Amino acid sequence: MTEELQLTDIQGNIVQAYGRANFIFARYFFLKINDGEKGREFLSCILPSITTAQLWKNISGNLQRPTVTTNIAMSYKGLEALELPLASLNGFPKEFVMGMQLRKDILGDDGVSDPANWDEIWRQDVHVWLSINGQSKETIEERYQLIASYVEQTQGGVEILFGNKGEAGQTDLPYQDASAIFENGKPTAKEHFGYRDGISDPVFQGQNDSSDRVLGRGKLMRDGSWKPLATGEFILGHPDEAMEYPKAPTPANLAKNGTFMVYRKLHENVGSFNKFIEEHGKDYPGGKELLAAKFSGRWRDNGAPVTKVASQEQKDEWDKIFYSEDTTDVQRKKMLTDFNYNDDLSGSKCPLSAHTRRTNPRGSLEFGQDGAFDTPGALTNRRRILRRGLPYGKVDDLTKDDGEHGIVFMALNASIERQFEFVQQQWVNYGNDFKEGNDKEVLLGNHQINPPSKVVHPVDPDSDDAPYFIGRIPRLVETRGGEYFFVPSMTALSMIADGIIDPT
Amino acid sequence: MANTSGKAYALNVLSPIKQSGENDRGYVEQVRTSIQNLGLHEQSPFANIPQTYLARLFILDDVVYESLPGADRIFNFSEILSIFSDKQRRAALPHQEHLKSKYLVFVSNFHGELDDYLEGMWLQEQTFIKTVWQHCVAFDQVNDLISFKEYIYKCQLDTTLFFNGSTDDSLQEQLKGLYVKQELANFAMENQGKSAEQLQQAYQQFISRVQLENLDGPSWKPAQSSLAVEGEAI
Repeated sequence: MTEELQLTDIQGNIVQAYGRANFIFARYFFLKINDGEKGREFLSCILPSITTAQLWKNISGNLQRPTVTTNIAMSYKGLEALELPLASLNGFPKEFVMGMQLRKDILGDDGVSDPANWDEIWRQDVHVWLSINGQSKETIEERYQLIASYVEQTQGGVEILFGNKGEAGQTDLPYQDASAIFENGKPTAKEHFGYRDGISDPVFQGQNDSSDRVLGRGKLMRDGSWKPLATGEFILGHPDEAMEYPKAPTPANLAKNGTFMVYRKLHENVGSFNKFIEEHGKDYPGGKELLAAKFSGRWRDNGAPVTKVASQEQKDEWDKIFYSEDTTDVQRKKMLTDFNYNDDLSGSKCPLSAHTRRTNPRGSLEFGQDGAFDTPGALTNRRRILRRGLPYGKVDDLTKDDGEHGIVFMALNASIERQFEFVQQQWVNYGNDFKEGNDKEVLLGNHQINPPSKVVHPVDPDSDDAPYFIGRIPRLVETRGGEYFFVPSMTALSMIADGIIDPT
Repeated sequence: MANTSGKAYALNVLSPIKQSGENDRGYVEQVRTSIQNLGLHEQSPFANIPQTYLARLFILDDVVYESLPGADRIFNFSEILSIFSDKQRRAALPHQEHLKSKYLVFVSNFHGELDDYLEGMWLQEQTFIKTVWQHCVAFDQVNDLISFKEYIYKCQLDTTLFFNGSTDDSLQEQLKGLYVKQELANFAMENQGKSAEQLQQAYQQFISRVQLENLDGPSWKPAQSSLAVEGEAI
């Protein structure tokens, strides 16, 4: 029988994304624990406020949606400060123990993205991540004040860290605000380059109603069908795609139903991006919007996959169906996600350097060698991540890079090294798996001036058209901060709070 | 045995290093020092040895002991017995084996015939060869090309599984190919979108600059470790 997840034990925003339920505002803030005992008291105090996954699947069938959520996670140094036993601490994976800054060579955080250039808050030890999501800024502020009062009660045992940058030029804010981007007064799913984001998040066993959501989002099987990924790819204490338990610390209750989170503040160089697509868009066959779509793998306005919709004419046809009143929501989702790249191995529709193709190649790494692996998606299934971020800041001038705007990127996975770091190192900043040598992914790659980055947009091998070369790619996204966090289950949180974690 | 793959050759040479040493230093440490002091990349002696695709020198100290339980022919009986007694378990472990000597291992993948390669090696890098191999058994009998070849043949171990990481073209052809590929990408980026006439003119200039048929240059150098700064002639 399939395993039923204990949703009341798993923190919220893991099994289902808050963003999908209209929680379009968020505040992230960070704590330092100066005294282990007071830190644990603080945990006990905040525990009843922590939101679980249960929220989305009420036992009685009614959806009781709170107005505000709270979630918590700890860095390795945070777990040390909370005085977890050494034998438990020793069981955590090395990349988590090292933390994001020491992994900069693997992540490609160099030059402007070097930790030395990050926001002030990251120049000190960050112990605890707290996140408040809400449908309004007022409810978030209210919850923030409540938690701040809990912090106050510790009398210095726990402190809120300052040093976040703000939109009005502040450099010493105690929090990082984030929000969906609004267009004509309505929230959108877009980020600051104008792309609709977060479409093909993975689907795994234990999530509800996965039968039609799984198309293009689970794992591709040999017969062309899609199945949910193993729970253990995203939640600890459950078997993963190798039918093993993911590496996790002891005791089992410390790890089970927890996960690892990558938090990254990514600044978007909007001016450079716009200038770049304007300049190349003039000469690009198909124009600026097609070029932008080929950088990402999806058209900017509504996310139409460029591997299926490879020209403006096809896009117009696709839009007609997509926006038709006769089209159901389920059909729309299918239009957005139900595809793989096997009809497009040359990359003439969706280039192999495109963001969505690099970060989730679906079944295409067999490169048409049917049967090369157990299943077409075998090389992809263990490299998936759940994305749970939101944009931050506003863009006032589309021609400028400066200012505070970008994405608070949050990824959840069972192994940061195998999943997030691998994608970042091998698929974003390097192209060998895609037969593209060291060509980087265009949008996220850590492009340098020398040697300059290039990508090639291929054409159908049978056509007489020339491929398009794009050189001197500017660095479009910069890292401004981040850390690796452990997101404990409710059981683990209460055990940590009570100081009863016992690995023996 | 598979010493060759097309025109590519895989050479394995194991030269025993003399026992003991001199001046309080073992010969094996002296060999280690001499290979540690070799230059890297463009400064490597292998950069001067014609047709070298990839070469390695290292010291084989000993074989690795794998303390796995013995596998019986039909059924892993000794493993079952080991549950009852540690003596049984120990008796079932394989014997430890050790090498009689420590070896200097020289591995090279190159283009062409072994005879020609060794000749190029001797002619170009005699000092390097004498420095690195001087403490190996019987190397004192090497004093000219013929005795060097004889020595290498005696120390050669056949390759059983040869995977060549590139084509089997000559080194100059491969380096030229990589150079032209890189230059062609730059040419495309600089000239795409131009009229047919402009493009043809630019292409003629490009062809006369890169000199496709001239393997001696312009090209990448053997063992080149970084790209030339844009616009800089190699």
